Amino acid sequence: MLLYNLRLAWKSVRRYPVLSALILLGIALGVGVSTTFITAYHVLARDPVPGKSESLYYVRMNSWGAADDPFLRTRTPPPLITWRDALELLKSRIPVRGTATFGARLTVFPPGGASPLRQRGRLVTTDFFPMFAAPFRYGGPWSREADAQGATVTVISSALNDRLFGGADSVGRTIRVEKAELRIVGVLAPWRPRVRAYAPLSDPLAAPEALFLPLALTASMEMRPAEMQMDWRNPAPGEEKLPYASRLMINEVLFMELWAELPDAAAVRAYKSFLNAYVAEQKKLGRFPHPADVRVTSLLDLLDEWKVVPPQTKALAAISLLFLVVAALNLIGLFLGKFLARASTVGVRRALGASRWMIFAQHLVECELMGLAGGCLGVLLSLAGLAVLNRVYGDGPDGVPFFQLDLPMLLAAVALSLLAGAIAGLYPAWRICAIPPARHLKSQ
Amino acid sequence: MEFGPIFRSLLRNRARVILIVAEVALTLAIVANCLGLILDTRAKLARPSGFDDEHLIAIYSNPFDDRLRDPKLLNQLVDQDRRALAAVAGVRAVSETGLRPWESSGSRTSVRVPGTHDEPVPTQAAQADPGLFDALGLPIVQGRDFTEAEYDHGADAPADEVQPVVVSRALADQLYPSGDAIGKAIAIADESERFTIVGIVDRFYNPFGEASEKIMLSPGRSAGFDFGAHYLVRTQGNPGPLLPQLEKALLSVDKGRLVRLRTVIEDRDEYHGRDRLLVASLDAVMALLVLVTALGIVGLTSFSVAERQRQIGTRRALGADRLAIVRHFLLENWMVTSFGVVLGVLLAYGLNFGIVTWVAGAKLSPATVATGALALWAIGLGASLGPALRGSRVPPAIATRNV
Repeated sequence: MLLYNLRLAWKSVRRYPVLSALILLGIALGVGVSTTFITAYHVLARDPVPGKSESLYYVRMNSWGAADDPFLRTRTPPPLITWRDALELLKSRIPVRGTATFGARLTVFPPGGASPLRQRGRLVTTDFFPMFAAPFRYGGPWSREADAQGATVTVISSALNDRLFGGADSVGRTIRVEKAELRIVGVLAPWRPRVRAYAPLSDPLAAPEALFLPLALTASMEMRPAEMQMDWRNPAPGEEKLPYASRLMINEVLFMELWAELPDAAAVRAYKSFLNAYVAEQKKLGRFPHPADVRVTSLLDLLDEWKVVPPQTKALAAISLLFLVVAALNLIGLFLGKFLARASTVGVRRALGASRWMIFAQHLVECELMGLAGGCLGVLLSLAGLAVLNRVYGDGPDGVPFFQLDLPMLLAAVALSLLAGAIAGLYPAWRICAIPPARHLKSQ
Repeated sequence: MEFGPIFRSLLRNRARVILIVAEVALTLAIVANCLGLILDTRAKLARPSGFDDEHLIAIYSNPFDDRLRDPKLLNQLVDQDRRALAAVAGVRAVSETGLRPWESSGSRTSVRVPGTHDEPVPTQAAQADPGLFDALGLPIVQGRDFTEAEYDHGADAPADEVQPVVVSRALADQLYPSGDAIGKAIAIADESERFTIVGIVDRFYNPFGEASEKIMLSPGRSAGFDFGAHYLVRTQGNPGPLLPQLEKALLSVDKGRLVRLRTVIEDRDEYHGRDRLLVASLDAVMALLVLVTALGIVGLTSFSVAERQRQIGTRRALGADRLAIVRHFLLENWMVTSFGVVLGVLLAYGLNFGIVTWVAGAKLSPATVATGALALWAIGLGASLGPALRGSRVPPAIATRNV
């Protein structure tokens, strides 16, 4: 029966080629536009570290100075923390893992004497890699001892490895970065998280850095943070003569992100009371003049709070869904016209014994067929649309496109097109099967 | 006019009427909101910086040769660089500055009139060297430029000397609303440093933080080994072709560094990239939507014409001319579209309310809604014209056939 209905549908398509093409185009445009923008939203809003984000917490505390400066908004904690606080808090054993990081720009000297490269780098502790699910192709993270000793090691991105070593396993080789010779312990696989979740304050949609270095190298390599820094304290006399990195360490400059992995609510509570105790202790030393305000925010809440996903993306997704509704309304009209135009054939089938239900099924099959075909065309359209978006947003340096149609979105697109076909076909199919056969037989 | 008969015939074709009304209404709601978003974003994109953006090149020079860790040598290098850049034909002005137009980074602080307890005013802060005002194309409209001695002192000025600053009009007006800011004092909010305003630049916009129209410029230099040196070059003509020559000029001075050159227009386009993508997406959605809706109206009207061949034939046989037939269908469609437009205006405001409440965006202006409404009226009429003309060509004889 289904086969028979499919054959009838095919015949009907061939009989009205222009009308059928219009219907197909209508579905394809509706599905294409909505799939493109819903995918864009879906990609941007998706959990950046699936399976881990629930246990990742960002730490803020109000370490502003006493001056009540509304520009610095001293009544709420700053978005970043100081070196001395980050290093002290990292010692806590309450989090399963923890890392403190900041971004830097680094000059990398390729082996063999080619001209140096300027690359984005990040100073982290080894827990960074498992916490943010960084995938390794060769080697792995450095050890905790390496963190403690300030070992001259590094993990490089797959793009940098391609550029310097032609993609070969470079673990164990040495590259010069700034003044230091660093041994490569790990090479990442291509990595393009939707959101650079570990540094959501500075250009969160950018690709991850090319090099990762132990935080303990900050002083010896005279690192200078390249992302946001806030400084409310005036330098002490003679301080300006010190190297920049040393100044950062003794100063109140806010430039670091501190992350803690806390497995459950009890750990969050314990960690919070640990932080409050730390603030109380620091108050005795004359720091933290404001009321203690310690915030331990989960990754997803933080992305929400800082509006990391551009809100316009949501508006576009909503608008494109409405577009699909208009396209479906349009289809109702087209199907209605098409079906009523051949009402006389239906009259003959009814007179020969076809039940209403059979007529209804026949027409619904035709609608679904068109829906499915239009949906496939629409998916192709949305692939083209996403390719355009990717060109503007930019592929990652690893060549991983930013926006990709994943399986759930693909299934959603197919479901959408079937739904559009059903919604658009239901009324016309019902209308045509409700027509009494006699009226159309008479006019023959 | 045949309003009565048309209205009654519409009542007999409720499905078709409802479809067109719903389609037109939804389309208008979407188009009006898209238009609103597009106009808001366009206004943001069109915002002038006050600089001569089209003729500016930003150059980043990052030393890697350990020799250049010596600040004296680095300072000499900056002087040599400036001379080398200025010597390239087509270069109008050169400046060494940390201020980079259209980059959402920089340095900011907050200031107030010393001795008062007014709310501190957040502002951008940057250092100016003797070429900066010329390089930005930012004339000093009131007061004066820094003197040579002031430029020479820079950050090393004696601590007891009051340091001169040039501020933007927006900052001057906020601190001294009566317009007499020249010669007056300003201080960092905690009064750790005091300055005297010696000059005012007019329009200034840089997309950094909240302080985007306010800036305070002090004489000085920003170059350092780890920070590098940043140059702004203003050209006489199109800056693009000069990039290779400028790079060569710098590398011939010293090769121990990395040099990166970009036109400020590139920076501006990058800064606007996502907004431009949004506008392009909305444009595309709007155009496709209007196309789909127009096709829908053409389709539905065609069917209604095809369905009523015999009625048309009868009317023609009874003496109606072709114009009357065209008028009938146009009027019918106009009525249906009008229902849709009225409903669409309500829907547009409803959708806008939703977007403003749950997403983000500005309120719709009545002009935008009116523009959308007029456009849809025109599209509705235009789309029904073809089928109506076809209907008018139905010969009267058809009424007598097939009975």
